[in-house]
Amino acid sequence: MSETAIATTNLTKTYGDIRAVSELNLCVPRRAIYGFLGRNGAGKSTTIKMVLGLAQPTSGSARVLGMEAGKERVAIFERTAFVSEKKTLYPLLTAAELVRFSRGFYPTWSDEAVQKCARRLEIPMKQRFDKLSNGNRTKVFLMLALSQRADLLILDEPTTALDPVTAEEFLRMLAEDALDRGSTIFFSSHQLEELERIAEYVGVMDHGKLLLQARLDDIKNDFRLITASGSGLPVEKTPQIVSVEVDGDSCRYFVTNDAEGFATELKRNGATVTESIPLSLRESFLQLVRKE
Amino acid sequence: MYAWKCWRDTRWFFVVFLGIAALPMPLTAFASHGGTAILDAGSLACQNSFVMLVSAVAYALATICAIQEFTEKTAHFLFTKPRSRGYFVWVSWAVGFTELLIFAAVNLLVGWRVLAHYGVSAFTNATGQSWSAVSPRNFAEGAVYACFAYALTFALAAILRNGLWGLGASLGLMAGMIGVAAGIQMRWKIDLPLPPQQIGHLPLAFSECIWLTLALLFIFAAQLVLERYEL
Repeated sequence: MSETAIATTNLTKTYGDIRAVSELNLCVPRRAIYGFLGRNGAGKSTTIKMVLGLAQPTSGSARVLGMEAGKERVAIFERTAFVSEKKTLYPLLTAAELVRFSRGFYPTWSDEAVQKCARRLEIPMKQRFDKLSNGNRTKVFLMLALSQRADLLILDEPTTALDPVTAEEFLRMLAEDALDRGSTIFFSSHQLEELERIAEYVGVMDHGKLLLQARLDDIKNDFRLITASGSGLPVEKTPQIVSVEVDGDSCRYFVTNDAEGFATELKRNGATVTESIPLSLRESFLQLVRKE
Repeated sequence: MYAWKCWRDTRWFFVVFLGIAALPMPLTAFASHGGTAILDAGSLACQNSFVMLVSAVAYALATICAIQEFTEKTAHFLFTKPRSRGYFVWVSWAVGFTELLIFAAVNLLVGWRVLAHYGVSAFTNATGQSWSAVSPRNFAEGAVYACFAYALTFALAAILRNGLWGLGASLGLMAGMIGVAAGIQMRWKIDLPLPPQQIGHLPLAFSECIWLTLALLFIFAAQLVLERYEL
């Protein structure tokens, strides 16, 4: 069995002249919680659609749970739960009827999970979907996804419209699900704090390109903002130096690995290193996607 | 489960349609002063109401049955269920088609029962002359036209992802076909068969089978388009 839940190879999608996703090489390990970050229009949802076979890639390929996306769509959906960014369900059906509708599609369906979700997320099960608030609509969607007992959960901005208390409860449920059953969770979000709390791996996307893919712990340990002053400071970007801000005779470097080695090198060349700050995920994200 | 959902979406329309199916002949009898008019033209009324109502309901059912997911923007939910898209197309088609058959059967049975009450056969005219050679053909052609219209409207609604657009396109196409056939007849004196007419010198039953097969091909076409549709 493949140890990779999602693997894409040079996945590309263009709409006319617009390159929505460009040569994406994504690797989501099994049993991991993977946070997929990016600004609006970065290409996250398009990537998810291609991974699920809902959109055809212009070039490249994607494999999900060892199966080829697009060609083995039905088999993939048997083992994958998906929450779309569009949280729209049948307006005239109640949450209980939506459960009844969905149950028959999945052999792994758990009514126990339905009850647990309904209780913990406080879902009004007998109210029609079109009468629910945006937050409750999202909760119904999440309940249906969690009750599938899927091997892989793909959640496109799942906590949008949720209040902080419910979002927290939902994240806890996700983490429990991953821990108890060993499911893989791949979710896109703008909420950096919540992602930082539960994700083990992070992928950052911008303008259709994957800027970063790493363990969250590695980001926290290795990513540094180094400020140095002096003459002859390097201003070129390298794989190690993601960005450089020049301010008079001082420079601020966003370094993604071996920050200590880089600082030592600067000192050896006569520069004065005034700061070396570890970065949070938010700071790293902002550094990565900031326009030059 | 999807069949249940399709039924749930259309059940109230279906109940109303059933009422419409059952009413014409009893109303005609009620309004015909003791059945005199029924004796004169009851069987004709039965046939005409059958052909008109079943055709109208075929258009209506196709419009409301065809892939409501597209109008409700719920394709992201439905098409991520572990079933092929073809499954969803055929199930929603089958639910609507079953409702159409029930509608036709109710309309026919109520008409037949009302006429029988006055001693009139649905297949006999007022002079006692047997219409058996003509009447069943009228009913059959009405039914085939309804099936054809239902399939065409359903397919177009699914392909255009909008029930009303599908209905408009289907009505436009049907009217266009009549216009084209009339134009060809006037210009080249060639009779172009239109559904459910007999095709050339083929036996009638065979012609009707061809029209029904063509109707099913529309659904296959809709399936092919939807399977390639990107969300």
